[in-house]
Amino acid sequence: MVSGRYLVKRFVHGILVVWGAITLIFVLRHISPGSPINVMTPPTASPELRERVAEELGLNQPIYVQYLDYLGGVLTGDLGNSYVRGAPVSQLLIDRAPATIELAIAATVIALIIAIPLGVISATNRDEPLDYGASLASLLGISTPNFWLGLMLIMVVSVQIGFFPTSGRGTGFVAAVQLLVFEMDAGGFVTWFQHIILPAITLGTYFMALITRLTRSEMLEELEQEYVQVCRAKGLPEPLVLYKHALRNSMLPVVTVVGLQVGYLIGGSIVVEVVFSWPGVGNLIIDALTNSDWMIIQGYLILVSVSWVTVNFFVDVTYTVLDPTVSLE
Amino acid sequence: MFSKRTLQSLRDVFHRSLLPKIGLICLLLVVVSGIFAPVLAPHDPTAQNSDISNQPPVMVSQDVTEETVELDGLEQEVTQETVTKTGTLAYPLGTDPLGRDILSRIIYGARVSLVVGIVSTLLAFMLGTAFGLTSGYYGGWVDDLFMRLIEVRLSIPGLVLAIAIIGIFGSLPIPVPDPFVSLGITPDMPETTVIPGAITLVIAVFSWDHFARVARGEALSLRSQNYVQAAKASGASSWAIIRRHLYPNALTPVMVLATIRVASAIILESVLSFLGFSGVTLSWGFDIAFGREYMGTAWWVALFPGLAIVVAVIGVNLMGDWLRDALDPDVDAGGAVE
Repeated sequence: MVSGRYLVKRFVHGILVVWGAITLIFVLRHISPGSPINVMTPPTASPELRERVAEELGLNQPIYVQYLDYLGGVLTGDLGNSYVRGAPVSQLLIDRAPATIELAIAATVIALIIAIPLGVISATNRDEPLDYGASLASLLGISTPNFWLGLMLIMVVSVQIGFFPTSGRGTGFVAAVQLLVFEMDAGGFVTWFQHIILPAITLGTYFMALITRLTRSEMLEELEQEYVQVCRAKGLPEPLVLYKHALRNSMLPVVTVVGLQVGYLIGGSIVVEVVFSWPGVGNLIIDALTNSDWMIIQGYLILVSVSWVTVNFFVDVTYTVLDPTVSLE
Repeated sequence: MFSKRTLQSLRDVFHRSLLPKIGLICLLLVVVSGIFAPVLAPHDPTAQNSDISNQPPVMVSQDVTEETVELDGLEQEVTQETVTKTGTLAYPLGTDPLGRDILSRIIYGARVSLVVGIVSTLLAFMLGTAFGLTSGYYGGWVDDLFMRLIEVRLSIPGLVLAIAIIGIFGSLPIPVPDPFVSLGITPDMPETTVIPGAITLVIAVFSWDHFARVARGEALSLRSQNYVQAAKASGASSWAIIRRHLYPNALTPVMVLATIRVASAIILESVLSFLGFSGVTLSWGFDIAFGREYMGTAWWVALFPGLAIVVAVIGVNLMGDWLRDALDPDVDAGGAVE
């Protein structure tokens, strides 16, 4: 299983990667044209005012002092203040993060609950109409840009049929659950579902297609193994053979892909948030880019890098749990 | 570049299955449109004409609400009227609210997608293969450092960093003169095609690691082979070994990867254009963003450019599947938008 030494090693490794990313972000900031002073002061500002702003931001310090200040800030969770909004960046990110995380999880859940059975069905009905149908669907899913899919869903499902709202979040998941538990009112939950379903499908489709393909090819490989023959020969019911034995062994690569695709979910969520006006981190970053609000961009990149490293840390651990023969030393 | 046996295998797979044929047709459609755009496009894709705005596609009738703003002295008078419009064969896919022909815009849009897809993948291919082979060949601390660098790069998703970098540094649109117009074959068409330079570079920089990882894996497994050891013992330089022995052997899996990366580059370009980071005003992603505002009335404006992307990406993906089935390297087929 997972040894303590491995966990420590993997953790230190993760810290190094985050440090590398943080440094890269710092370098990017310093080679970028355009000074934050221009963002914070009017074009007519006097040299004295510009000087004062530079001093406030620490921009007149030597570069290594700025770097150390920045590292120290990141370590204590202080990502600075937004140039434009004035509020602390960490607070802005924390306020927006739940919406994005909720969307990413919903997309992953939708993708997994559809893709895994579809992949299994496809593999067990190889070269039959069901398999062709599933393969065609996943080819389309992989080849469709998600922002366009989102727009088409809005156009057909929301505008023409009038099923779900075209934009916004309605209510948060936690708030909806609280309403359900404390006041026995499922209304919040319904609102939550109605708002999240289209964005989640939009974000999850590519992921779903990818996992369907992967599950299918892994299952086909497993079904040819001898242990499957043995299971069948000793009279185990077919669903047990498929789901308990073959599928379990097919899941290893799927777990890895889920880990690697966190990057896709983070990047994709920006686009989906723009299409559905979802009040998450993605819309915040697009705003920040339009306003050249570097502090928000920087904080966001750090958050993204930390999330990626964290998720992949857990993916590696899951890997060893799923397959005890894998040694990650 | 390919051996006889490889070519035979490519042919076999092609004849056995319907999918590579569909893929080839899709891809040819896009490539031919892109190259011969000025000849094929029925209208100038940038020509605006308010008389024919909001025309639905051929055979379709649609009620369109139009706003006319009239200046009466200092007063602005806005009148709304609903007219039923029927599509005509002159504009088979309809026109947008500025009266531009959708079909012509789609034909021209193929250029941007193709150039970005191919150029960015070539750059990533060169950069990644060089790094990967070197790293895998030398091993040791060079390789360690290299793998850590890749991981840092991976920890920030490509799309995120691309948006940040283009947002900060600008979009660098590059106007390329159109040979058909300069030669006087189609004098009425736009003189230049604008290629989003920053997007091309950024996509290259953020997909090189895919090539590097595959090339590195190949180099790692090849460097202990007898013939490589023999070349080393007979005094061949590292550069010669990498170029003559490692590179040709790593080429097959890298080629399969390249087709997949072209597909993701096309999607990434459309996403960035949609978000307004491309700096060009004639591309599929840009047109979808434009059509988004008019989805309630003129649905065709956003529909068709999206279908064009799907056709292009399906074409490239099916080509990739074909190459993979025929050459059978061990390459992960996944991963479009990171």
